[in-house]
Amino acid sequence: MARNKFNVDEELETPFSMVHLKRLLVYVKPYKRTILFTVLLMIIASGANLIGPYLIKQAIDEEIPSKDSTGLVILAGIYLGALIITGICMKYRIRMMSQIGHNVIKQIRKDLFTHLQKLSFSFFDSRPHGKILVRVVNYVNSLSDLLSNGLINLITDLFSLLVIIGFMLAIDVKLTLAAMAGFPILAAIIFLIKNAQRKAWQNLSNKQSNLNAYIHESINGIKVTQAFVREEENKKIFHGVSNGYRGSWLQAIKVHFLLWPAIENISVLTVSLIYVMGISMIGSGITVGSLVAFVGYIWMFWTPLANIGNFYNAIINASAYLERIFEMMDEKPTIMNEPGATDLETIKGKVEFSNVVFGYEENDRNLDGINFQVNPGESIAIVGPTGSGKTTIVNLISRFYDINSGQIKIDDVDIKTVSVPSLRKQMGVMLQDPFIFSGTIMDNIRYGRLEATDDEVVEAAKAVQAHDFITQLNDGYNTEVNERGTKLSNGQRQLISFARALLADPKILILDEATSSIDTETELALQKGLEALLSGRTSFIIAHRLSTIQNASRIFFIEKGKIREEGTHEELIQQRGLYWSLYTSQYSSLVVG
Amino acid sequence: MHSLRWAWSYIRHYKGKLIIGLLLALAVSALNMVNPYLAGRMVDDVMYGEKTGMLWTLIAFMIGTTVVRTSVRYGYQIMFEKISQNVIFRMRENLYDRLLQLDFAFYDRTKTGDIMARMTGDMEAIRHFTAWTIYMIFENATIFIFAIVFMFTIHPPLALAILSIAPVIAFFAFRLSSDVKPTFTEIRNQFAKLNSIVQENISGNRVVKAFAKESYEIEKFSAENEAFRDRNLQSAKVWEKYLPVLDSLAGVLTVVMILVGGMMVITGSLTMGELVIFNSLIWALNNPMRMAGWLMNDLQRFIASAEKVEELLLTKSPMMNGIKRSDIQDITAGTVEFERVYFSYGDGMVLEDVTFEANPGQTVGIIGPTGSGKSTLVNLLSRFYDTTSGTIKVGGRNVKEWNIHQLRSSMGMVMQDIFLFSDTIEGNIAYGSPNATLEDVQAAAKKAEAHDFISTLPEGYDTIVGERGVGLSGGQKQRIALARALLKDPSILILDDTTSSVDIETEERIQNTLQSIQQSKTCFIIAHRISSVKEADLILVMNNGKIIEKGTHDELLLNKDYYYHVFQNQYGNFDVHLIAGKVR
Repeated sequence: MARNKFNVDEELETPFSMVHLKRLLVYVKPYKRTILFTVLLMIIASGANLIGPYLIKQAIDEEIPSKDSTGLVILAGIYLGALIITGICMKYRIRMMSQIGHNVIKQIRKDLFTHLQKLSFSFFDSRPHGKILVRVVNYVNSLSDLLSNGLINLITDLFSLLVIIGFMLAIDVKLTLAAMAGFPILAAIIFLIKNAQRKAWQNLSNKQSNLNAYIHESINGIKVTQAFVREEENKKIFHGVSNGYRGSWLQAIKVHFLLWPAIENISVLTVSLIYVMGISMIGSGITVGSLVAFVGYIWMFWTPLANIGNFYNAIINASAYLERIFEMMDEKPTIMNEPGATDLETIKGKVEFSNVVFGYEENDRNLDGINFQVNPGESIAIVGPTGSGKTTIVNLISRFYDINSGQIKIDDVDIKTVSVPSLRKQMGVMLQDPFIFSGTIMDNIRYGRLEATDDEVVEAAKAVQAHDFITQLNDGYNTEVNERGTKLSNGQRQLISFARALLADPKILILDEATSSIDTETELALQKGLEALLSGRTSFIIAHRLSTIQNASRIFFIEKGKIREEGTHEELIQQRGLYWSLYTSQYSSLVVG
Repeated sequence: MHSLRWAWSYIRHYKGKLIIGLLLALAVSALNMVNPYLAGRMVDDVMYGEKTGMLWTLIAFMIGTTVVRTSVRYGYQIMFEKISQNVIFRMRENLYDRLLQLDFAFYDRTKTGDIMARMTGDMEAIRHFTAWTIYMIFENATIFIFAIVFMFTIHPPLALAILSIAPVIAFFAFRLSSDVKPTFTEIRNQFAKLNSIVQENISGNRVVKAFAKESYEIEKFSAENEAFRDRNLQSAKVWEKYLPVLDSLAGVLTVVMILVGGMMVITGSLTMGELVIFNSLIWALNNPMRMAGWLMNDLQRFIASAEKVEELLLTKSPMMNGIKRSDIQDITAGTVEFERVYFSYGDGMVLEDVTFEANPGQTVGIIGPTGSGKSTLVNLLSRFYDTTSGTIKVGGRNVKEWNIHQLRSSMGMVMQDIFLFSDTIEGNIAYGSPNATLEDVQAAAKKAEAHDFISTLPEGYDTIVGERGVGLSGGQKQRIALARALLKDPSILILDDTTSSVDIETEERIQNTLQSIQQSKTCFIIAHRISSVKEADLILVMNNGKIIEKGTHDELLLNKDYYYHVFQNQYGNFDVHLIAGKVR
């Protein structure tokens, strides 16, 4: 699989189309009525707003020349009333808009996150985690403005445009038509800068993603960086990545800001045209007052138009993020329930591989024809050189990857035909790399079975010999730990992770180097306790310290993706083959040395 | 105000540009006055005065000023964008620099998501402020002042009447400002939480899937996601309360103008033309007043974020003095001395009374139960933490007196928790020696027994490994990390549980190589397998933070204590006859 790294832009796989916007609108749809209501409010508000110039025209043309002060007071009163109405409308508009905006954002983020849970290991393995994070958190956030203000502004602006044109038409048809002359020019400009703009924003979103990925990885790898005194080199890289972001921002903004001056200049040209035409028309059907009002309307006419232009800008801008978000939502989970998949019933723990062939990459054969049958309650040890495929075999049992050919059955059911969660819930897996969530130790163990009581958690911890060290900590089981923290040693993390797997009370227990960082004494104590715990469960144990696995019911020796030897410790020793050679090698140095 | 002063310490580097920008903004504000004035002239002179000849002049001026005004405005907008990008560029560099300097103790207690929030969301708030809010405040303020001055020169009484509303608007703007501040603090804190929850879910995706806990994760996430929405809505509630009031009050200015102004025209103390000029200027008072609320809002958002960024920038670590220290000579001889070293992470003592000495060419093996302090001991050696009491000397000198980079440069470390970067294998091995050639990298990989498996990968050394080295087996990752440490050719080599996931035969080969290269090196090997440490010149057996046994393999076997027991457990039931025929 092609992996991405921090300084490589992610190629976009889908071209931009209005489809993205339509998909976005699907999120807004549930709020159709609220939006309509808000638009109605805005129409009232902009109506009230637009009365302003009309009232002033009235005052200048009628009340003031005729020295009608009562009339003037009445006009002022109407104006004041209009302002109050506008204020009330604005209040509700803010409320509704933020409700809609933030709810939509919440929903998009939730959908994205939910989808993320369905994606398989390979998705997470193939790109820096910072790049996934930035999509779920930052990109979704950048839609907020478009959704909350943009959409409703667009509708109301379109409406006020109509109303203004209405008012203008009421004053004079010819002048109104002249005022529209700027339209085609604006359209042409928008069309001209569109491509440059889109490219610039896309580039920016890539650079932002790269920057975040690098920061993220720098934080997670900080210990290695400090240990290897790589600070200066990293600073240089960061400088470059950060610089790339700054450059692409400035590039994008240069195009972005072009729209406003364009609109303003077009509008002043239109106004000039109106002056020229209007003044020549004074006396022949137009009064000075109406001309003043008309010019007032043109200025107002350009404001919503400019807003619409800005909305367009915002769409182009947001689409750079939107397409990334939808791209991730469209990422097909490689491990999915097959059509008609049923839940796997409570299993006994029989596992069967027949002719299993698997490769992480298309042409690889990490496993090359694996066959075995494991009966319920058996404990299977898997040994072999590093990279021979031990972890791969156990990963396939949980269906973390789908096989190329062959079949894997649990209790005689092909695991492809059952729902994924129902399969995994019956496994207790202790991964090679013990992951600790931030939270208490109690929470971390309980992750294996959320409904477990505190007592059950403690029991599991005792079973894996973790209880003693946990109780020695100041806050015991309530000690706060986190992903990177050194509060716990690696061995301790393994024990916690082991307890977590055990707590799940699985029929199939998978221990991938569960004890590699645990001392022999603890391990022995653990094994004694474990014998009881393993009874009635099928278990797969991967280990390098052979003392760990001698009691297994059967040992598989894996090499280059094949099972080369299989049998009990005694049988394999007698065979004097690969296992024997491995087994004796750990002692040979003793004898020779 | 404090945050503003802090931001200024960055902005001030661009003082010249800022002043030019603001002057241009000033010019634009002044030019803003021209069109209304021309409109007034248009009415008074051309329409009423019928000086039709003026029409074209006025129009030419109108278009001319607009072209100039919009171009200048575009120019300074870009200028402010540049300033703000440069400001946050510097801030980001400083933040990054600080992150590189902070010690492990900081990272032990700080969530990745929290740091990410500061580096992304908070930086965005600061960017917005410097790029936009600063000049908007300035622009609006100057437009406002210009309009007032202009109005006063035309007709002071009317100007005064209109302005009487201003204090009320100011009052509400300040109320908004103080009410909205806490909501922004809450929004950004929740943003950090949201970041953390998503970040951990991504990092822990294997565990999530292994336990089929997707729905639980979604539940956890939803709670934070909804809280984030609610925090935002809370902020919107404040706007809802004040912004409409501010907006309506701004409109009242117009009402006062037309009412009072109209009366004045009626009584003859104001000309119609003057009223028209007032009318065309009124927006210059209206708009800034309307904007006042939003700008206050932005200011508070900025302060909430600036505080967090500054906090991180001010976080100190005791190691930092070691970075500034400059020394002449490098550490050449890797002698290591621990003298009565005690250490605690804050809970109980993790190391107690640790004393030992190791000389170049010697190998120190460390063995002991999980959590007995083995890793801590080597972490202190590289000064990732400082001792609580006692001294550690490297090359004859207290580690606290070395330049910390020099100290660490002398060491090659393979940590227990292997971290690989999402980079090529070559890049990962050369992580500590960026100038190494591919041959050097390959040589190191060969020593670490990694060359063979790397060569079998389709892209060899150019294979990009995922974050944390996913896609490689545990043993493969360990060998890459070992190659990384060997490539540095350090005076002190520290291997913390480095071969635990490597099969025994490979381990043996690695050990042979190590023995051949460690003549001049001081070597620390932490392990659980007796086979890993038994050749060491000194074996330290640790338990509960104390060294309980010390000696060579043979000495310790004679002790018949902990080490002997471990040996018995690992080898005791071994039947020597089994290897008959294998041993040469």
